[in-house]
Amino acid sequence: MLSSAKHKINHSAFSVSSSSSSLPHSYSQAKNMTQVTMEEVWKDINLASLHQHRQLNIDHEPVLSNQNPNNSIFKDFLKKPLNQEPQPLPPSSSSSTLHRSLPPPPPETVLSLNPHSINTHFDESARFGCFGMKRGGQESDESRGDRRHKRMIKNRESAARSRARKQAYTNELELAISHLQKENARLKRQEEQLKMAEATQHQTKRKLQRSWTTPF
Amino acid sequence: FTRTKNKKLNQKPPVCFRSKMSLSNRDPLVVGRVVGDVLECFTRSIDLRVTYGQREVTNGLDLRPSQVLNKPRVEIGGEDLRNFYTLVMVDPDVPSPSNPHLREYLHWLVTDIPATTGTNFGNEIVSYESPRPNSGIHRIVLVLFRQLGRQTVYEPGWRQQFNTREFASLYNLGLPVAAVFYNCQRESGCGGRRS
Repeated sequence: MLSSAKHKINHSAFSVSSSSSSLPHSYSQAKNMTQVTMEEVWKDINLASLHQHRQLNIDHEPVLSNQNPNNSIFKDFLKKPLNQEPQPLPPSSSSSTLHRSLPPPPPETVLSLNPHSINTHFDESARFGCFGMKRGGQESDESRGDRRHKRMIKNRESAARSRARKQAYTNELELAISHLQKENARLKRQEEQLKMAEATQHQTKRKLQRSWTTPF
Repeated sequence: FTRTKNKKLNQKPPVCFRSKMSLSNRDPLVVGRVVGDVLECFTRSIDLRVTYGQREVTNGLDLRPSQVLNKPRVEIGGEDLRNFYTLVMVDPDVPSPSNPHLREYLHWLVTDIPATTGTNFGNEIVSYESPRPNSGIHRIVLVLFRQLGRQTVYEPGWRQQFNTREFASLYNLGLPVAAVFYNCQRESGCGGRRS
């Protein structure tokens, strides 16, 4: 039951946003905290994705903070009534440990960026837990994440080009070696043949020389 | 953190789907993405020998601007002197391989090269401009096309944003008959290696 729920959430979140890999464990975390039904969580996730995280609930804090790589959700947490504030910190740290203990998330394609970004954002949210960046800096947070993402992609491309360059040169060398080996063998055979031809010719030359020498 | 495969589908080199005679998928031109970025997959049929000074250009050779200042010696194969060939030299990685928005830069264009001879015997439509890459490691590609006959080729208005494929199509040059490329980076470049 739980596994199918996890599976379902995983799939839908995958279609909705890119950061759903940590949802299963956060969901289990939320379920441990309060007796919330799967449908409610499901509905809230959909709402959150559609309305850009406007509706927030104490049960879904860990879920949504993981869902949104930006820290705007966390900021919304901070704006909420004070009795809820202590909540974000423990879930974020504990669900991060949960995250690490679980096996890597199955969808390997688009989501694979997430473990990395989630971990970094956990660090950042731990810092923000000191309520340092309440106001400004929301734009730079998003652009920082974007820039990091872009840089990662650029680095990947550069690495791929570098590998291609190396491989192309290696292949060329291999082709050249093969070509040179063949030519070498051919030339050696040719040399052998010429040597033999020359040896027989040399003998006949001697005879000729002898026949030409005369005493005077 | 699992090691991820490339998500973009165009990361792998293009596969040559032609007959067995055409370039293999391990061919340096394919692996180095010259086939794909600049050229269509083709079959080598004519010898092409490019030499800068004493150095013969092999695919992927690393050359610095000081080594390619002057035009290279280009010798082509073939048998019949009545066949004419066009040589195109382009840099597809301008201004930088990570952002090649000016692809390609035309460095040299010589037409009407008779078979078995070299560029000295051809018609230099666009004079040789030595590569001076500023950022990144650029591929410099030399391509040989066979002409249908002697033909008038008009020089393009500018060197950048040249398109070899379109050029070949415009002058009915068909697929290339030979190609070779080398890598060029600025003189003080680190060779793609740090530390």
